[in-house]
Amino acid sequence: MKIELRNFTKRFDGQAVVDNVSLTIESGEMIALLGPSGCGKSTSLFSICGIHRMDEGQLLFGDKDVTNLPSQKRNVGVVFQNYALYPHMSIFENIAFPLVVQKADRATIRRKVADIAELVQISDLLERKPANISGGQQQRTALARALIRRPDVLLLDEPLANLDAKLRLEMRSEIRRIQSETGITAILVTHDQVEAMSICDRIALMQKGKVVQLDKPREMYANPANMFVAEFLGNPPIRFMPAELHENQMIAGGAALPRPQHLKQSNLPDKINLGIRPEHFGPQFGNEISGHILAIETQGRENLYDVALSDGGVLCSIQPANDHLNPGDTIQWGIASQHLLAFDGQGERI
Amino acid sequence: MKHISWLGVGFLTPALLIVGFLFFAPVVMTAVFSFTNMSTATGISGGDYLLSPNNLDEMQAHGVSQKTLDALADTTYQVDDHGLLLLAQEFGTEIANELKERHNNDIFKNRGELERALKDMKHRIRSPRDRKKAADLFGTSILNQRFTSKVDFITAVIQTGAVQADIPAVTSVAYTGWQWTTNNFKRLFSLPATWRYALNTLAYVTLTLVFNIGFGLFLAISTFYMPEGFANTFRTIWFLPRILPPVLYVLMWKWFTWDTGFLSTILAPLGIPAQNWMMQTSTHAWVTIILINGSVGASLGMILFSSAIRSIPASMLHASEVDGASRFQQIRHIILPQLRWPILFLTSYETLSLLASFEHILLTTDGGPGKSTEVWALAAFHTALRNYSGNLQYGYGAAFALILVAIGIAASLVYMRLFNFRDLVSKPRIER
Ligand SMILES: Nc1ncnc2c1ncn2[C@@H]1O[C@H](COP(=O)(O)OP(=O)(O)OP(=O)(O)O)[C@@H](O)[C@H]1O
Ligand SMILES: [Mg+2]
Repeated sequence: MKIELRNFTKRFDGQAVVDNVSLTIESGEMIALLGPSGCGKSTSLFSICGIHRMDEGQLLFGDKDVTNLPSQKRNVGVVFQNYALYPHMSIFENIAFPLVVQKADRATIRRKVADIAELVQISDLLERKPANISGGQQQRTALARALIRRPDVLLLDEPLANLDAKLRLEMRSEIRRIQSETGITAILVTHDQVEAMSICDRIALMQKGKVVQLDKPREMYANPANMFVAEFLGNPPIRFMPAELHENQMIAGGAALPRPQHLKQSNLPDKINLGIRPEHFGPQFGNEISGHILAIETQGRENLYDVALSDGGVLCSIQPANDHLNPGDTIQWGIASQHLLAFDGQGERI
Repeated sequence: MKHISWLGVGFLTPALLIVGFLFFAPVVMTAVFSFTNMSTATGISGGDYLLSPNNLDEMQAHGVSQKTLDALADTTYQVDDHGLLLLAQEFGTEIANELKERHNNDIFKNRGELERALKDMKHRIRSPRDRKKAADLFGTSILNQRFTSKVDFITAVIQTGAVQADIPAVTSVAYTGWQWTTNNFKRLFSLPATWRYALNTLAYVTLTLVFNIGFGLFLAISTFYMPEGFANTFRTIWFLPRILPPVLYVLMWKWFTWDTGFLSTILAPLGIPAQNWMMQTSTHAWVTIILINGSVGASLGMILFSSAIRSIPASMLHASEVDGASRFQQIRHIILPQLRWPILFLTSYETLSLLASFEHILLTTDGGPGKSTEVWALAAFHTALRNYSGNLQYGYGAAFALILVAIGIAASLVYMRLFNFRDLVSKPRIER
């Protein structure tokens, strides 16, 4: 089911926590609400499921205006950040709860719980209490409880935040598998960009209560709207350095570089900021830039190099692992100029 | 290690002393008293030995033989110094000396024999009337005679010619101080009033408890859904019964229910005659008592349950809402199960305190009308410390109290079992 937020504003104590956000999520799509802590992700989610009232704006599920419906009537499934399982009920009772309050008959309940438990692979845990299963299993239980009513919308509030790295990877693909199998429209709240990029169709990146960019992950990575987006996506993060544009060349990082093809327009400001991702700086791109290695971080398959440039700026480079270089060594590397991201003084993309 | 445990004992000492003085000592004393017949009449220190004519019937009931009874009732005549002195004063020293010479310490079974002896003497008393009078000077009866020592009393009894086997029973009847006895309990279990008190107590505890918990839950849950400020005001009002001094609180109730009080006054325009809403019938009394005690307990329940509800994580309540639970279902499936421990705790705590508490009943109905609201603890108080006949029966009252103590300890043990006491103190009981 399509979800449409129109000019949504939410205030706490007069302070707008979410400010005039409009967002359309297509039916069957999985979208990530991504942003730093406190930017209003959970607040948006809670407003969509009806726990918070919207101060302004409209919310549509399909063609239906649900702005003023209580959460009981919205048919949304929510997985809370701490799972919010009912500690006094068994896993079976937890999953069955949405059906029990609908007064479904027992045979139906048993059948549906069995089905959904199989889908999230916890069939053999149904007798236990939430306290007696692992974090990953709790997460699956919460997911099963959210899905059992076949909700129109599935909302997930940082569902993977409490899991260890390996389990997080597993559950990530699990959630995606279940979401595509059920074809449910889903919103995943997260502050982990890898999570957002790996399993969502689109990402809505939020900053201070506003959506700053809404795009496909690849597109957002390649074409960030501003420095905030560029910095938020990518690990290790993008590095910035100031640059001066001249007629045919560009002074940056203590070197004179040819002015890149996509920055040839004449209406650009003289002073800009360049964003350079680690994979676009290295020996394979030439030797115009000189500097010395500050630190080397080995990540197994790759090495990360922090390089101090002659003008004091620092760039990061990622390269296949080798041990030719040591901290302190001087290097002469180049930049893939076609991938340079340019931003103006306000941080907006040029 | 060693000095640490001593330190522990050191720290515990004040607590142990307090437990010892304020709990064990009273319990032990109650137990001791309950096996005595202490009362105002016996006093609580020792007593004398005294047989009165009334005691004879009592002894008969205790199975003392007729022969002994006759012997005790009999007056015997013994020539002793006391009698001789009187004789000398009234009839001259010669006759006294002669009687002493001939019959010193002799015992005469009846007056006739002594009269004959007086007649046979050299300095005889001539007139039969005087002889009779003189003989009377030597008459002694064990009845109405006070003995301070048991040995003296028994000697005197033997001298009357009482049957040896009856002596312990006679001695026990004659003793005016308190005695060890199990009669209190026999009496307790045989009197129908006892069962009345027990049933009253059962009704009082159960009904008050149900009111406490039910109303406490209602207040806690309803205030939980109210706006914050309003809820706080509401809670404060309901907390008043708890912090008001009982006498003042009860006075307000009395004023409320008097035949010229609040209820009667506001009901008068409706044509309902003024009446004492507290004491009119036993139903009135019961309703009043349960409301009075219930309101005090309900406020505690309200506070306890309110804080328990507020410690339920908000996300759990949110989850139940998006899961589609109505408010009623939320209460039933989420809130009430989470309140299981506070409810159990309050139930056990209140059972124990209600069993032993009677101050509100004492101050309102005082067990009336009739004995319809006399509960066990109040009966104990009335028997031992305040009753209208004026004979305070400490021992009997203690027997009442001891049974209450036994029930209380038994209930505590059951509750500790139920709560798994160790778990209760080691981890918080709000599940999350
Ligand atoms: N009930 C509330 N009352 C007042 N302020 C609130 C309330 N809930 C959230 N806020 C504020 O609103 C802002 C956004 O909160 P929100 O929970 O939506 O952040 P978030 O993006 O989910 O962050 P995180 O990633 O840390 O969960 C925060 O500054 C927070 O302090
Ligand atoms: Mg959040």
